[in-house]
Amino acid sequence: METALTDSLETTATISVRDLRVNYGEREILHGISFDVNRGETLVILGGSGSGKSTLLRTLVGLEKPSSGQIWIKGQDIAAIPPSEMDAIRKRIGMSFQGGALFGSMTVGENVALPLREHTRLEESTIEIMLRLKLEQVGLQGFEYYMPSQLSGGMKKRAAVARALAMDPEILFFDEPSAGLDPIIAAGIDQLILELKQAFRMTIIVVTHELASAYLIADRMVLIDKGNIVAIGTTEEMRASTQPRVRQFLDRVAEPEVSRELDYLQMLTEDRRSK
Amino acid sequence: MELLSQVGGSVINGLAYVGSLVSLGGRAAYYTFVAPFQGKPIRFQRAVSQALDVGVRALPILSLITFFIGLILALQAAYELRRFGAMSYVATAVAVSMSRELGPLITAIVVIGRSGSAFAAEIGTMKVTEEIDALETMAISPVHFLVTPKFIAMAAMLPCLTIWANAMGILGGSLFGVAKADFTFIRYIWASLDSLFLRDIVTGLIKSVMFGITITAVGCLEGLSTGAGAEQVGRSTTRAVVMSIFLVIVVDLVFTALFFFMSQG
Amino acid sequence: MQISARHTDNTTIFDVTGDIDLANSPEVRKALLREVREKRTPRVVMNLSKVRYIDSSGVASLVEGLKASRDVNSRFILFGLSPSAREVLQLSRLLKIFEVYDNEDQALSS
Repeated sequence: METALTDSLETTATISVRDLRVNYGEREILHGISFDVNRGETLVILGGSGSGKSTLLRTLVGLEKPSSGQIWIKGQDIAAIPPSEMDAIRKRIGMSFQGGALFGSMTVGENVALPLREHTRLEESTIEIMLRLKLEQVGLQGFEYYMPSQLSGGMKKRAAVARALAMDPEILFFDEPSAGLDPIIAAGIDQLILELKQAFRMTIIVVTHELASAYLIADRMVLIDKGNIVAIGTTEEMRASTQPRVRQFLDRVAEPEVSRELDYLQMLTEDRRSK
Repeated sequence: MELLSQVGGSVINGLAYVGSLVSLGGRAAYYTFVAPFQGKPIRFQRAVSQALDVGVRALPILSLITFFIGLILALQAAYELRRFGAMSYVATAVAVSMSRELGPLITAIVVIGRSGSAFAAEIGTMKVTEEIDALETMAISPVHFLVTPKFIAMAAMLPCLTIWANAMGILGGSLFGVAKADFTFIRYIWASLDSLFLRDIVTGLIKSVMFGITITAVGCLEGLSTGAGAEQVGRSTTRAVVMSIFLVIVVDLVFTALFFFMSQG
Repeated sequence: MQISARHTDNTTIFDVTGDIDLANSPEVRKALLREVREKRTPRVVMNLSKVRYIDSSGVASLVEGLKASRDVNSRFILFGLSPSAREVLQLSRLLKIFEVYDNEDQALSS
């Protein structure tokens, strides 16, 4: 049964998440999430702040440990494998962090070359050509010797993408690619993601709360709210959805008021210290 | 009863903290002594640049402080020695107390202020800006990449700084010796060297290596356990300084006691 | 990946089979640079018709080969690019920089 499941997963999906639960201390953030990411598709994970979407992303790249459930990446359950095998998977994935997470003490070029210098035995001359190719691909040619602090927000994100691309990953993760950027720069980053998608046929997973950007780049979307999947489907399916929670998020309706007065009274007057 | 459980809780927390320090130190030791033979070379370049920062750039302030300390020691010793007409022992008093105790300790405290706090701030900032996470997702161990070079730099530089501090202390003492205790400069230095046993210097240096390891472990651990938000970096830095000073004194006590009982047996 | 060489007068043809990736691109680079720099072969031809995939380290190694051949005024020619390899070069705006032909006859008669 177990093997049959993994076999079927391997053939269709690059990533398969099964009944994933994640806790921070006592509090459960994700309440049993399951979905697949197909090879070569761009999946956008949508959700408001506090929905658990960032936790989901961090768990997918192994920064958080699930409390139960399975995450199959390229046929291996990363919730159950030893660190050495996790490192092998990490060399095949790239991650672009919200603020870029470039190393401030290194130049842009050194940032991009870092994974290559750490993990490969390539000659320095080869690495230099590679890092310039990567910077060219993200539109940062000529910025090799700049320090991250000299770059604007959008350029930092581009440099971070170049670093994520350094090892030619099969799967690329983006955490809030447009957060903190003005609309025009953000559109530029969306364009970059589209280009990468077309060019390298990578599997791309993007976490965002920006609807416009999601509609533009997604093949499929997952809508997450309060640690549960509300809906999953292609962009068209989501657009056409009549589910109230989906409509509410997609039509940007404000959170409904606390409906039952009794709960509200309870919430206001509850004596938490007595516990 | 409540007090008892609170004390118990603090003791358990304290032990857990020391446990995390030892575990961090152990992982750094693995990357220093074992991993290089498994094809994961030490980041020598990073260790050297850390060593420059920890060591060479601390020299001016350390020199000044230990020079003054030596002078103060000479003055304090002279107070008592003057009454017995034993002013010629000023050199001995300064040299012995510097090399056994104050040299290593003052060096450690200067290094805590300069580098222990900087380690916590640097790593804490990297934690807040997700740079530590980025290292992890690139399959680069933060302990290997960031922490281990700091341990190597500290363990190597603290003994060197301590020797320098001892010398500057003796120099400070000589100022008083020459001015007020009828020494010539050469005679003062000879009297100092004569009074020192190799044992005094070596025990001081062993302590200083332990201090260096302690300071690095605390600074890096506080940095790595920084929570979200910039204000947490400040908190980590403060904690790193306070905990380092406390633990350096504890380590000092343990090793001084150890040396005392070893010399008896 | 396997790489083998055929020598004719003034020309060396490298036949590469398999993927060129991080693990083996240093081997390609070494073979190329030895041929261009040390042996000073006037024309070096890469047969890539049996290469399915080239990653960026492979591309970078080819760029190094091209640069070395320009330095000594020899020729460096690629042929038999798979659609994906062609696309990789196109993306890096390298397709026009390399001398690229469809097949061996064209490459040799050029």
